Formats: sequence, structure tokens, C-alpha cells
Amino acid sequence: MLNGEQWTQLLLGFIEEASELTQQAEEYLLQLDQSPTDEEALSGLFRAMHTIKGSAGLFSLTPLVSFTHHLENLLMAVRDGAGTLSPALISVLLRCLDEVASMVALIDPQTGELPVDEQHQAQLLATLAEQAQGVPGVKPLAVEPGAEPAAAISGTGGAWHISLRFSADLLRNGFDPAAFVRYLGRLGDISHLALIDDTLPALAELDPESCYLGLEIDLLSDASKTEIEDVFEFIRDFCTLHILPPDSALDDYLQLIQQLPESDARIGQILVSAGLLTENELQAGLTVQASSEAKPALGEVLVSQGVVPPKAVDAALAKQKASREKRVNDAPIRVAAHKLDELINLVGELVISAAGAQLHAQKHGNALCVESTQTVNQHVEQIREVALKMRMIEIGDTFNRFHRVVRDVSQQLGKDIRLDIRGADTELDKSVIDQLADPLTHLVRNAIDHGIENAEQRAAAGKPAQGLLRLNAYHESGMIVIEVSDDGHGLNTARIRDKAIARGLIDAQANLSEHDIQRLIFAAGFSTAEAVSDLSGRGVGMDVVRSAIDALRGSIDIDSVQGQGTTFRIRLPLTLAIIDGFLVSLGDEHLVVPLDLVTECIELDASQLTRCTYGYIELRGKPLPCIDLAAHFGLPPSHTVRRNIVVVNFGRQQAGLIVDHLHGELQTVIKPLGLLFQHLQGISGSTILGSGQIALILDIANLFHTLHHSVEADSRTNQPRPDLTGS
Amino acid sequence: MPHLQASAAAVPGSVQHLSFRVREARYALPIELVREIIEYGHVTTVPMMPSFIHGVINLRGNVVPVLDLAARFGMPLSVANKRTCIVIIELTLDEQEQRIGLVVDAVDAVLDIDLASVEPAPPFGAGINTDFIAGMARDERGFTIVLDVRRVLSLDDIRQLSLARQAS
Repeated sequence: MLNGEQWTQLLLGFIEEASELTQQAEEYLLQLDQSPTDEEALSGLFRAMHTIKGSAGLFSLTPLVSFTHHLENLLMAVRDGAGTLSPALISVLLRCLDEVASMVALIDPQTGELPVDEQHQAQLLATLAEQAQGVPGVKPLAVEPGAEPAAAISGTGGAWHISLRFSADLLRNGFDPAAFVRYLGRLGDISHLALIDDTLPALAELDPESCYLGLEIDLLSDASKTEIEDVFEFIRDFCTLHILPPDSALDDYLQLIQQLPESDARIGQILVSAGLLTENELQAGLTVQASSEAKPALGEVLVSQGVVPPKAVDAALAKQKASREKRVNDAPIRVAAHKLDELINLVGELVISAAGAQLHAQKHGNALCVESTQTVNQHVEQIREVALKMRMIEIGDTFNRFHRVVRDVSQQLGKDIRLDIRGADTELDKSVIDQLADPLTHLVRNAIDHGIENAEQRAAAGKPAQGLLRLNAYHESGMIVIEVSDDGHGLNTARIRDKAIARGLIDAQANLSEHDIQRLIFAAGFSTAEAVSDLSGRGVGMDVVRSAIDALRGSIDIDSVQGQGTTFRIRLPLTLAIIDGFLVSLGDEHLVVPLDLVTECIELDASQLTRCTYGYIELRGKPLPCIDLAAHFGLPPSHTVRRNIVVVNFGRQQAGLIVDHLHGELQTVIKPLGLLFQHLQGISGSTILGSGQIALILDIANLFHTLHHSVEADSRTNQPRPDLTGS
Repeated sequence: MPHLQASAAAVPGSVQHLSFRVREARYALPIELVREIIEYGHVTTVPMMPSFIHGVINLRGNVVPVLDLAARFGMPLSVANKRTCIVIIELTLDEQEQRIGLVVDAVDAVLDIDLASVEPAPPFGAGINTDFIAGMARDERGFTIVLDVRRVLSLDDIRQLSLARQAS
């Protein structure tokens, strides 16, 4: 028996699996919303419901089983009846999926209990049944599981004979043999059914998770052979299937008798009792003994029955095998996130100690030693890359969730909006993606709610009636860029400006560019409940979005053209754990600049710049603002004669950082500085150098932001900062 | 640590404290907070922080912030000599386990302090902010100030001080 803890573990596994499946099911459903005839999506949806039902059964989660059973039945009926799901039905199904998701979330992993809002469920199911009736090809929903309405048999003639031998793994894979028989019943009338339990062992040896059964079924139906085969599609790998058409030749029956593993007489008796063979025919046939062979595979049976040409079967078998092998190689392994974090931490330590070893080897000067530490370092580098990749997941899953948001919100508002997704395969650190979901939802909702106009306004503006919302992701100079864009009316800068002045964020005389005004919506205190009505809500909670992005060491920017649309552009670092850095020093202190942001290094010509914290130099005919880092951070002034400038680029901004020495590139394992330093501006973390010394990592985004702010604050009060005009 | 005497089995009703010196006064904090005592080594300065936040050190691959207790008490910054130590303590701040190093002039001994005999802090005269004092323990050598570590390391305090420093 399982102990309580193991049980909880299994149940937790199920909860996770079920919520993933519900998510998948929702995606399939939304696909069906787009293309109602998508059979793959339909069977995917069916499979998801079926698996949830099956697994829930293992945990005796009865309410979940019976609820998903209804959904499964409906989907089966749609699949069977070749009907399609109407948009109204999809809406109800989406709500049903929500109910499934909430049930899954409510499961108590300790006790396995599942509280249910039965009234709500009954209501949902009633709506579902109501909607289902309107769909052609869908039979009325069966209220009681198992009480399927008998289908009318229009065909004439004899019965199909179906021999099924389940493999021992059937139950372990979550399939219920009876479900297939019931489903088969929809194709026609099961005239005769015999259970083969010859392999059933004595009770003591019986493995309750193994399936020992076989079935001999006679089916009166005018369905085609393919249709019958399709019934068993899901368990094709877990059973041996023989199908004989009605009124087959005697030889075919005899062949079947020999192919089946049970004794000839046993099968013979079944066929006789089914009325497919007479006693005489059987006796005559059995006298012609053929050498019995091992159980043939389904493909061979098909060939021997002349149903399919051998070549086609070979090709299909090869394809099946290849896809199965591929599945094994590509099959994901579930690993707890903390184990991965632990690995990445250790790899981080390895990077540091390998760098230390190399440093010592170089000091020592032993060529062999230097060479071998270099090799070690190369391997460490590879390990680092692989380890980090393990945390990377595609952003597509996150993007796809918005199909639902767009569908729901736009329907609510009576707008017709199409969601266009690009760059779904762009990979991003899992922890980044997790923290990105909320700000993205905010931006998407805002775009639908306030960005895209309603149909009349769009028509008046000469735009197509259908609004377009685009989610895009791509790489750009070592960062990930995520765009949320709409083709709506854009930001109304005049109103934002008025609002900002009213809120005391800017001075009435302030001369701000369009872009600067647009950025004001990110200012804390800009958006309040009052702003919703005043400013048509655009910009509500944008400061929350910005702080969420800031927390990810990213940045957010806007591009908005009035009347044409708005694009929000989020820039994020690829990962949070390790970055490529550029090491510089100020006196004895070392600093790391994220390498992706460094564009060039130049020597500082002392005559170009006066000694003050902020100034500018001329770089290829353009002014380059410069920061004397030592002075900015309040470190002792530098005594170095030849100082250097590191030119960094962030978004559209460029600046020079004045430092003492340049030390070159290094892999930087980010170590958080901890709570004590959480309010420190301009420093994002620290790292340990090969020498054991600690270097601080510069937060360029924050540095730019702070400087920009202080300049802005000064310009507002019309008191220019002496430093800035000093040079 | 020649001065560090491991005391025998704890006396009931008493709590073991690590005592140390900052300038001329003796202080103590519960030994259950103390993880280790290390020699004073290279401390990396973190800019724009209040002066008592000395910087960070590399403790076997972990970056640990270091506070100068003397500076926290309002005295001039410590000048390291060969008896200067960093006491590494671990405590929960804002629901996170946090390791912090405290620079002290010398580590003294492990004391069994009987909680019943601990006197409340005098309203003034102890030489440091009374808020930092959990109580005064007396033994044959005189008074030892038992620190209220949570007050000494108050995040709110540090936050305000660092924001003020950055704004200037």
C-alpha cells in the first residue's frame, strides 16, 4: 500500500498534470473556434478530457470524473457525428473547462477531498446539453453515464466480427476497456459479446493493474472497417485487433481462429454461438490444421486480409516506429524547479572556481597547467550554457493563453479582435516568464479595452472592422524584446499632458517631447481610479507594469502614433542567473558592466572633460553624456592618469562611464546582495571574481533612469544642475 | 580564539551568549544566532550606503553584508587590527533567512546569562541608543550589554538611512 506521503505526491502529480491538460484543452478549443473542422484539435481535446477523467478515477475524485465524463461524451458525439462545435457551444465548453480547472485547484492534496459547487455544475451541464441539441450530428446528452441511446441500425446483412486482446498495460495507461465497447455501441448494435478471460491468473498471482482480458464482439452496423478501427485508435498500441467484415468467407474465420492465442475450439465455439459459423463448418475447418504462428501484428493481419497493400503498411509501420522513437528522445522529463536551481547555483560556483584556477595557473606560468585549466574552462562554459538552457522555455505557451483573454474580453465589449502571435518559439528563462504573465495580461487587456476602438469608430477612421492585437517576441542584442501592439487610436498626448500637470507630475511650462509625454503613463501616481473616466482608462496601473518589469531587470517603452496604434516594447535579460560581464575597476573596487550593453571602450582624453561627476565629450561628432562613476558613487577620487570610458547603450540612450581600468570580459554569476541593499540604486547585484574578491554589478537601466529623473527634476524647477553645465 | 571558552552544560534558566568588545564596552548576543567567527578580511565597499554598512565579503562563495557595529552605535568607523573579527550571525528578516557579518573589536567569551538577573537598560548613559539594548547582564567583571539584534539590524531604519544617503 502507498503511505500517505506517497499518495499526496501522486495526487500532486495528478493536479499538475490535470491543470496542464486543462490548459491544453483550452488551446484546442480555441483552435476549434478558429477552424471548427480541425479534427486533430477535436481529438486532442477529447484525449485531454479522457485522460483527466481516467486519472481522476484512480484517485476516486468522483465529481471530477462525472463532470469530465459529460464533456467527454459530448466531444465523442461530435467526433462521431462529424458535427462541429458552434461558437455558443465553445463558450459553454470554455466555462466548463474553467470549472474543471477550478475543481482541480480545489483538490486537497492531503486528504484527496474535492468540494464541489453542485448547483453551478448542474447549471453548466444543463446549458451544455441545451447548446448541444442545436448542433447537427450531436445526439442528446446522456445524463446517466453508460446509458447511451441505441443507435438505429440501417444496415442489413451479417455482423462484423471483432477480436480484441488487450495488452497487460492497458489499465496502467488509464484506459477502460468497457469505454471502448460502449463507444463501439454507437456505431451499431452489439449482437454478441464474449469475454475471454483465459489468461486470468489465480487471485494470488493477479496483478490488479494488469489487464488480462480479451473480447470477441459481433457488431451489426453499416460502418466501414476504418470507422470501426478508429474506435480503438487510442489503444492501438495496447491491444491486438482483428476485424472480419460481415459474411466473410469460411477460410477467413478459420484463419482468425488460428491466429488467436486461445485454443481453436474455444474461439470456434464463440463464433458458432454468435451464429457466424455453423457447427459443421467449424468441424470441417478445424480438420485443416495449419501451423499456428505467433501473434501477428496488426499490420500483418491487415495484409493477410488483403485490406491494405503491403507497401503502405510497411511505410505506416516505419513512420509509427520513427515517431515513437522520436517521442522517446524528445520526451520531456519533469524535474522540480528547485533541483534545477540547485544545479545552476553549483554551475555558478564552478564557473567562479574554474576562473580562479585559471588565474592561479596563469600566475604560476606552467604552460601545461594553463592549457588544462583552459580546457576545463571551455567545458565549464559548455555546461553553463546547457544548464541555463534547461531553464529556458518557449514563450509561446504564455502567448497562447491570451487567445482566451482576447476572446473573452472582446466578446464582453462587443469588439471583433484578432490576436496575431509571432515569435512564439523565442526562449526565455522560466522564472522570467512566470513573472511576466501579469504585466502582459495587463497590457493586453488595456489594448483591447482602451486601445482598439469599436466597430463604428474604426469604420469612421477608415480601418478594417476587425481590430488587430499582436504579441511578438524576438532577440535583440542579448536581450529579449516582447511587443504588445494594437492598431487602435493610440495615446492622446494632449490629455496625458493635462492629466500629468493636474497631478503635479510635470510643470505646466515643461517642454516635453511626444515620447516623454507618453512615458508619463508609467509614472507612479499618474493613474488613479479617477483617471479611468478622465483618460478613458488608458494607462491604468501602468506604474505597476513598469515596476514588475523593473524587478526583472528589464525596461518598457512605448511607441504610439495617434490614430494608428500603440506598441509597448518590453526588453528583458535572457536569464537572471548568469550574465556575460565586462570588468572594470575604480581604484581598488571592481565593477561589472553587463557586456550586452557595452558598445565600445575609448580612452578618456583628460582635456575633453572637466573634473565633475557629469559632463559630455564629443564622440564622432555627437555629444556623449558621461558619468564619472567614482564621483557618482562617492568613492575616493581617482589618481589614475589615463582613465577610460566604457560606452554603454541602453534602448535608445547612450552614455559613457568613466572608469580607471578595463579588465575585459568575464562570466558573471549574479549573487543577490540581499535585503540590506534592496534600496540601492544603480547596483543590481554582485559577483565573486576568480581572485575571491567581490565585484558589484552595475544596473545600467536603473542608472540611466535615476540620472534622467534627477535631470528632469532639475529642469522642472528651472535650476540647472551645476555639474551638467560645467563642461 | 584564545579567549573563547566553551562553557560546560548550560545552566537551567540561562541562555548562552557570545560576548565581544566594541571599543571599551562589552556586548553580548544569543549564541544561537551566531554561525561562525572569522578573521577580518577584505571587505568590498558598497557605494551610497550608510557608513555603518561596511560592505560585503565573500564567505565561501556567498556574498554576505558586513555591518560595522561601532559605526552603527554612532562611534567612528572601526580601524582593523589583528584582533578585529567578523561575527557571522543568521536571522530571519522580512521572512527571509539572512546572514550578516558584524565587525567587532574582539571576541571575548561564551557567557551563561541568567535571564532572571538581566536588568533593563538605563534610560541613558549606556553609550549607545537604548533601543538597541535588550538588557544589562552583570557578572564579576561588570555589566555586559545584551543587544537587541533585531533593532540593531532594523530594515526600516537601514532603508531610511540608505534612501537619505542616496538622495543627498
